[in-house]
Amino acid sequence: MAETPVLQMSGIKKSFNGNEVLHGVDLEVKKGEIHALLGENGAGKSTLMNILGGVYQPNDGEIKLSGAPIVMESPRVSQENGISFIHQELNVVTDLTVYENMFLGSEIRTRFGFLDVKEMCKQTEEVLSRLGVQIDPKTYVRDIETSYKQMIEIAKSLLHNSNMIIMDEPTTALTENEVERLFAFMRSLQASGVSIIYISHKLKEIQTVCDRYTVLRDGHLVGTGEVKGTDLSAITQQMVGKSVSTNAFYHKATKGEPVLTVKHLTSEGLFNDINFSVSKGEVVGFTGLAGDGRTELFESIFGFRKKYGGVIEVNGQPLKINHPRKAVQGGIGLVPKNRKENAIVKDLSVIENMSLSSLGHFEANGLIRSKREQKRFQEYKDQLNIKVHDPKVTIDSLSGGNQQKVVIAKWLEVDGDLIIFDNPTQGIDVGAKNEIYQHIMNLAEMGKAIIILSSEAPEILRVCDRVNIMFHGEITGKFTRDELTEEKIMEYATGSKKEAASIG
Amino acid sequence: MAELRMNEKKQTNRGLRSLQWLWGEYSVVIAFIIIFIVATIMNDRFLYLDNQINILMQVSTIGIIALGMTVVMLSGGIDLSVGSVLAMVGVFSVMAMNASGSIFVGVLTALSVGALTGVINGLLVSKGKIASFIATLGMMAAARSIALYYADGGSMSGEVEGFTAISNTEIGMVDIPIIIFLALTALVYVLMQKTRFGRYVYALGSNEKAALLSAIRVDRIKIGVYTFCSLLVGVAAIIETSRLNSISSSSSGNLYELDAIAAVIIGGTRMTGGKGKVIGTFFGVLLLGVLNNMMNLLNISPHLQGLVKGLIIIIAVFFQKRD
Repeated sequence: MAETPVLQMSGIKKSFNGNEVLHGVDLEVKKGEIHALLGENGAGKSTLMNILGGVYQPNDGEIKLSGAPIVMESPRVSQENGISFIHQELNVVTDLTVYENMFLGSEIRTRFGFLDVKEMCKQTEEVLSRLGVQIDPKTYVRDIETSYKQMIEIAKSLLHNSNMIIMDEPTTALTENEVERLFAFMRSLQASGVSIIYISHKLKEIQTVCDRYTVLRDGHLVGTGEVKGTDLSAITQQMVGKSVSTNAFYHKATKGEPVLTVKHLTSEGLFNDINFSVSKGEVVGFTGLAGDGRTELFESIFGFRKKYGGVIEVNGQPLKINHPRKAVQGGIGLVPKNRKENAIVKDLSVIENMSLSSLGHFEANGLIRSKREQKRFQEYKDQLNIKVHDPKVTIDSLSGGNQQKVVIAKWLEVDGDLIIFDNPTQGIDVGAKNEIYQHIMNLAEMGKAIIILSSEAPEILRVCDRVNIMFHGEITGKFTRDELTEEKIMEYATGSKKEAASIG
Repeated sequence: MAELRMNEKKQTNRGLRSLQWLWGEYSVVIAFIIIFIVATIMNDRFLYLDNQINILMQVSTIGIIALGMTVVMLSGGIDLSVGSVLAMVGVFSVMAMNASGSIFVGVLTALSVGALTGVINGLLVSKGKIASFIATLGMMAAARSIALYYADGGSMSGEVEGFTAISNTEIGMVDIPIIIFLALTALVYVLMQKTRFGRYVYALGSNEKAALLSAIRVDRIKIGVYTFCSLLVGVAAIIETSRLNSISSSSSGNLYELDAIAAVIIGGTRMTGGKGKVIGTFFGVLLLGVLNNMMNLLNISPHLQGLVKGLIIIIAVFFQKRD
């Protein structure tokens, strides 16, 4: 007889404001398995997990834990039943220490009611060392790297002796090494009988670490099965509802005049002696591991950071860039990473976000003409396939992919010569990702120079003409597209190889 | 048949949602109407035209300041110095007017001293990177002190004939301060909804980093915001001084900052900026005015009026849609 699954969710339905977003979804997780929950943004993954976590109440359906029906009235009930939810956004309090975060809300106290710091530190150290992380429990969280913050979140769930852990895109902020460590650790958890529900867009990770998968699309269950022996493209097809090619988008560029030339750019502690040049129609990639300084480098080139030395030439003229406005006047645009914090103004409408950097185009007699804005937005909506029923709604009601397209439209409207994309497909589902790549290639064909910063090697390989690999604030390798492999990227990004000569 | 019922259900849903939207966006207008109706029922003198005009006259000074406060608060800041600056501006403008014998010089002094104070506030907040609460708290103490020093702790009266005409002339039935208040409301509305400056203020209040990365000169906008607010305080100071032809260095403008902030908050502007409406502030000002007037008509002890006002502020904000 088959073993009873630890978790059975059946016929789960959920509506918000009369709109049904889950139409009777089933999910079964066995004891000690790593179960991938897949789907595009808006497919209903988070809603389903929030129901399991007790955040939302389902309108219909049943949840059984080890065969016994249960009502997840509140997050507390869910936690008491051994379910831990590690959210995508980090829920750490940066002004507290590591151990204080670990025990937040469940502090250990001595007989006298005082905090038992010693015991908490001891347990923290134990759990962290099981994860292969060496941090002093009394370090302030604000002083440690993002990837470690993620580890703290995971360690927290271990403290609570969970028998089921939900991980929502846990690898977004991790470097490759840390991802490896996380996977090793997930396997050891699995061996000790803990079940894991793993949410991710990265199919390669799914293939490496997961046993079974469930795919949702538009609130329906569209597929479930063993990962082993299933073709990745079949899963992708289930997710997007059509077949999506994972081929390169690359077209040979017709290279024009150099747009941006950087000479000996240095900023203390961030990057050192950076030299490169980008020409019209070219797509140049910058890659490396977390902490390689590429984001800081381009924030400096864009004028967001002011303390740096060296020469920046735009269209052959040296330009002192000490404010983003200077960069924009020089024809440089930046699509920053962490869209929510850096790129979108959530209280402004979709249209207003599009026009924010080029309001002059829509003015007459000092007043903004909203008709002109609307008309122009309609053009970008068609050109970039932005899905929005009413562009006057605030931008945060759009999906990640569509928000990103609006940000791209903003820089198209500015109409500069160079657009820098920092992690352009962060938090964007597979279908929209391909669209973004396609738009980037179209921009290059229009004659714009493109720079792409990404830590995902496949992304770089799919679109770039040339790639610069960075390690600890220096460019360690420069390659043309034909010379490059994922293995090479890893060698240079980890600093195990370095190219002394700088070309181009 | 079933389909028909579905449609009906959808429609009531939509009706309910649009009602929710109306409440979310314009709860202050609804609150205003309720209080207005209550006041009408409670006292039959309330609806008299001269009483209505009286209310508008009484709120015009605070109203003008609240407009400036709205802009500051939309940008994510706050200006605590408005009351003290009003007294300081009043003192300086009366001094300049008396010395020169010209009303024009007095008005010009008021506007320029106001604007200059705003520039200082703006510089402290933007370039000095001091939290607006702290910077303007400092300005609040400093401006009051300067006013007291130059007026020797007392009042200062105008000695130029015709100065009182500014606040005490009617066009038709409407006093000039009311006209100025209404005109400025329209102006600030256009400024915030239709100009680049307004759009940038909203962007800055909602997400400063994204605004900067969108190539907006955030520092300049901040300086502009505080300058504009203090300039409006200058206008309010002229009206206040002209009304009785004198300004008190110790009591003029006392607690005006609180009334102005209250009006802005009742009007639905978010404390942290980025969201809110000029029209909301306008009705917030009127609501406070009607409330004051009603309590006076009902002979409620002046000592208790603060309690009622405080309760109304808290209730109004409690029922507002929050995020």
